[in-house]
Amino acid sequence: MQLLPEAVLVLTALVLLGAAVAVETQSGKPISKHAAIVIAACGVVLAGLALCYVPVDVDSGKSLIVIDPLAHIFKAVVLGLGLLAVLLPPARGEIPQPGEFYALMLFALTGLLLTTGTNHLLFLFVALELASLSLYLLVGFSRTARAAEASLKYFLFGGVSAAFLLFGLSFLYGFAHSATLAGVADALGAGPPSALAVTGLVMVVVGLGFKLAAAPFHYWAPDVYQGAPATSAALVVAASKVVGMVVLVRFLMLGFHAVSAAGSAAWGGMVAGWSPWLAVLAAVSMVLGNVLALAQTSVRRLLAYSAVANTGYLLVAMSANGASAAGAALFYVIVYGLATLGALAVTAAVERDRGNDSPVAFAGLIHRSPWQAVALLVFLTSLAGIPPLAGFVGKFVLFSAAMAESTKGGTPGLTWLVALAAIMSAISLYYYLSVLKQAFVRDTPDGGNTAAAGPTLSPAHFLAVALPAMALVVLGLFPALLLDPIASALVASLGLR
Amino acid sequence: MTPAWTIISAFAGALLVLLLPARMAIASRAIALAASLVGAVAAAASCLTRLNNPLDPVWSFDRPWIPGFGIRFHLAADGLALTLLLLTGIVAVAGVLFSWNVERRPRAFFAFFMTIIGGVYGVFLSRDAFLLFVCYEIVILPKYMLIAIWGSTNKEYGAMKLTMYSIGSSALILIGLVVAYAASGGKSFDIAHLASAHYAPALQAWAFPVLFVGFAVLAGMWPFHTWAPTGHVAAPTAASMLLAGVVMKLGAYGALCVALPLFPQGFEQWKPVIAGLALIGIVYGALTALSQKDLKFVIGYSSVSHMGFVLLGIAAGTHWGLRGAVLQMISHGIIAGLLFGIAGRVVYERTHTRDLTELREFDLWRTLPGAAIAFTLATAASMGLPGFSGFVAEISVVIGLWQFSPWLVPVVAFGIVITGAFSLRALHKAFFPVRNSDDAPPSLLPPLTWPEISAISLLIAVSLAIGLYPKPWIVLIDDGLRSPVFHSILSMP
Repeated sequence: MQLLPEAVLVLTALVLLGAAVAVETQSGKPISKHAAIVIAACGVVLAGLALCYVPVDVDSGKSLIVIDPLAHIFKAVVLGLGLLAVLLPPARGEIPQPGEFYALMLFALTGLLLTTGTNHLLFLFVALELASLSLYLLVGFSRTARAAEASLKYFLFGGVSAAFLLFGLSFLYGFAHSATLAGVADALGAGPPSALAVTGLVMVVVGLGFKLAAAPFHYWAPDVYQGAPATSAALVVAASKVVGMVVLVRFLMLGFHAVSAAGSAAWGGMVAGWSPWLAVLAAVSMVLGNVLALAQTSVRRLLAYSAVANTGYLLVAMSANGASAAGAALFYVIVYGLATLGALAVTAAVERDRGNDSPVAFAGLIHRSPWQAVALLVFLTSLAGIPPLAGFVGKFVLFSAAMAESTKGGTPGLTWLVALAAIMSAISLYYYLSVLKQAFVRDTPDGGNTAAAGPTLSPAHFLAVALPAMALVVLGLFPALLLDPIASALVASLGLR
Repeated sequence: MTPAWTIISAFAGALLVLLLPARMAIASRAIALAASLVGAVAAAASCLTRLNNPLDPVWSFDRPWIPGFGIRFHLAADGLALTLLLLTGIVAVAGVLFSWNVERRPRAFFAFFMTIIGGVYGVFLSRDAFLLFVCYEIVILPKYMLIAIWGSTNKEYGAMKLTMYSIGSSALILIGLVVAYAASGGKSFDIAHLASAHYAPALQAWAFPVLFVGFAVLAGMWPFHTWAPTGHVAAPTAASMLLAGVVMKLGAYGALCVALPLFPQGFEQWKPVIAGLALIGIVYGALTALSQKDLKFVIGYSSVSHMGFVLLGIAAGTHWGLRGAVLQMISHGIIAGLLFGIAGRVVYERTHTRDLTELREFDLWRTLPGAAIAFTLATAASMGLPGFSGFVAEISVVIGLWQFSPWLVPVVAFGIVITGAFSLRALHKAFFPVRNSDDAPPSLLPPLTWPEISAISLLIAVSLAIGLYPKPWIVLIDDGLRSPVFHSILSMP
């Protein structure tokens, strides 16, 4: 029963492959894009239904697969984000074999689902690689030169990160003589962390830093965001990032929560441990991501650098080493995923209509397609952290929690980092606004008949834009809907206070 | 009618306008007018209720919102908030009337307009720091859009500059609030709760200026005022009215009702600096206004000068000072709205210039006498002549300043003299030019329309009402200043 959603996904993928072969032998043409989308989307929805029947249980420390409340919530989130990615259709002629493409999407989702629900080092690695290998293929699936470059870069960087991760995990096993995170925590509780544990942790964090696109491990991100088919990119930017964050939270909050390992990144009160290192990664990511985003002329690349910056905000919360900060980070990564996925979906629509994804291509979008422009406004202002959207609440609680968790006896600790984050976040409005300026203020350059020129979207594409926009508004007005379950899941799953 | 109707009417108006079908777009101005009238009436009714029942508990609405972080949806309306609500309502009505001729994308225009109004109402009513910050930030994007789409003179630059100043100052506010939240135990964002906590003096010494400057940027404090003239000039008339009339008050309100109560010791320490910056603002704004060629720039810099009085009253930190600061917020809101309305809408729409030397050709005193009379009255109010609201406000601030430090009063007096000089210069050059008998006769201009006349009369009447009978306003403001959050400020030596 525990693996029911994953089983549904794999079965759907097999059905899809079978159908693709059957159609191709019958008619000589590959299965149509729309049929493949419908089958894959049904599979994801069924997997979501199956998730309701999976019993929730807290890890006994023995099993490979745990369905604790945290895993339960994030499996649902991953399926939701995965569904949105599946719904975002590729451009005409972009994907030569839709059957295989969507089967790979389902396999990647299976890997991501498995990754969210394990506290076992080895199983974690296997699940993560299942997801990653599918994602490498998906990124290069359109067979254009750009996609090939993106795929190769993603594969090389991903491969190196996997090596780091595996190496780190083996060190941790050598240190703890146990392949579970609980075992690592016990070994850390017994005494000061040894060099073995520190090395292992550093390597794991580097490995996860690649997956999360934290600077300076972010070099794959711009190419993947720009070169990959929008559908694959949507899976990478949203679902895969959320899962990377869940893994990081499990690692740090379950395995390395002990203060002796965490240290402190407080100004003037620096204590060696992972917290100062994460703080440095966070600072570098925020500064580099935001500054480089200012200079981009492609909206997809702009979103990639904004992804680097947003990873920085997430790491700010993680370096505070506290339950509420981790909860806020998990909330924020979901909100971030929704907004970026939606922005990517609108960008894909504009790109197909105007031929490129420069900000100028967005000029006059409000006249060509008002609701797409409004959706873009929702996504980008949510990313910039403007109320009443979820991105604002996310950043606010993230910064509050990071500050509150790092405050000891009325003396705030992480002020320097939170202040940097707040200022960087303010700067980010500039580049989001430069896209919105084109969409709302400028007129379409060719000046043509603005009323009729709007691109019409397929129903699936419409949903991929409309659903995240609605979710961002609802979560912005009622953030407790998601914040409270995450907070209680963290308490129940990881025993955090 | 409870004060909540102000917020509800504004956001409902914005939503209704957006839902209008395209062919009925012109009806959006009627909806906006109705919505702002409802808001103004609700604010006025609440003010009257409060005046008649001063001992009742204040109206409030308090529900949990984000329990995990102690964030509540907490609105409350003491007298101080109510006076500012009424100001917002009046400026909103006048703003819609002055925008009656907007025909380009009217639905979006009035939707953005009403969103700003709703956010401003929300800030004045919020008693939870998170909610206040939400409403404070809601206005940023509509401000940008109003200026960038419907503005004039370098509009995209002015809009972006204003937006970056706003968001940058918001980052400072965020830092200040989050530090207070963490240092007070991380339990609640309620302003009264945050104000009742004890913060270490070392923390207050740096957290106060961060939070205060965050708010004061929007209040036009020198040297962070440069967004104000460019933004005001680039903005369409209604947006300049809102910017100068109410949005600048958001900054002053936040500085007064959040920054001071949270870090009173920090305030005590930084008082002289704030007073100094406020004085520089008063004199600098007035001197700069003296040399402007564009009528709107004159008014823009005069706003910097007038907002200096607000900051000066706050810096004085005495009862008279704070009362004067709020009175000046209201007075300047009305007068700036009036000046921008006449310069941006009445004059510019007819002459297509705001240049003081070019306006000479139009001989406005003869061709547009109504506007000339209105502008004369507005100038008198702006100079702080007795009988208008500006006098009551400035005299209160000066009394407050006298209690704080009598030596600074001559500087203020100098500023007031310069204010008279630039106001009269602009009035003279724009409306009463010296013309030779052999000049070409001025072309005829269309007479004032009814929306213009009603908006002008409304604003002049309110300014006169405050100037001639300030008592109810003072009673309401004192009602707010009695709130426990001000105890630590007003009990100081």
